[in-house]
Amino acid sequence: MKSSPEVSSISQEALHLTGKATELFIQALARFSYQQGEDKSALNYRDLAEVVNSEETLQFLHDIVPHKVKAKDYLKMLRDADASEEQ
Amino acid sequence: MAERPEDLNLPNAVVTRIIKDAIPEGVNVSKEARLAISKAASVFVLYATSISNNFAVKGKRKTINAQDVLSAMENMEFEQFIEPLQQCQEAFRQEKIDKKKERVSKPAPSATINEAGDEDVQEVSDEEESGEGRQSTSAADGSKEDFVSTVNENNDAAGSSGDSSVEMIEDGAD
Repeated sequence: MKSSPEVSSISQEALHLTGKATELFIQALARFSYQQGEDKSALNYRDLAEVVNSEETLQFLHDIVPHKVKAKDYLKMLRDADASEEQ
Repeated sequence: MAERPEDLNLPNAVVTRIIKDAIPEGVNVSKEARLAISKAASVFVLYATSISNNFAVKGKRKTINAQDVLSAMENMEFEQFIEPLQQCQEAFRQEKIDKKKERVSKPAPSATINEAGDEDVQEVSDEEESGEGRQSTSAADGSKEDFVSTVNENNDAAGSSGDSSVEMIEDGAD
């Protein structure tokens, strides 16, 4: 937490609560992704990516848990982006 | 130290345990999924800290306190966390009160080593979460040195910031 530059100090209680909140977050994310997923015998990356992309509250995770894209599709995306920039 | 927000990672074992608690028995979790959840949690901490900090600054304070964290949860639309967190807060405050009572009833640290030693054993084994047994433990240096150093190690291993001063964490708590 202290790696954030603008934070000067944190009370012990706040630290404790943040830890607990993170625990709750992990549980909620895991449980929700599992429920949303199709394969009930396993929790896949794809389920996570789905959930992150569909939930508004999880928007901050968009860049962290992106949908996996095939390399060639990604290259195509880049080329398209370049093309539109040139125009 | 950390170059990007997602490079910081929480301990793997802990994350795995929490995930296993959340989903039914026997469900496999792919390594990728686990890693992604771990990263997500790390980012969550950073994000929550940043928002909590905003609240603290708004209140013209330099220290993030518990209320800031709760306000941040509400702000991030994780209201479902607020109730369990409040329960946690209560439990934590209760623990602190209990600890203070024990401290008051203890004899001064420089008193008889044997006596202090026994009480320390009790306190440390009961309260693994806090490092506050350390003060009086370190005073009992003389004859109980081997045992004391083991006890001190336990304190360190317990993981939380064993600070002898009460509330502010100035350094060292990562």
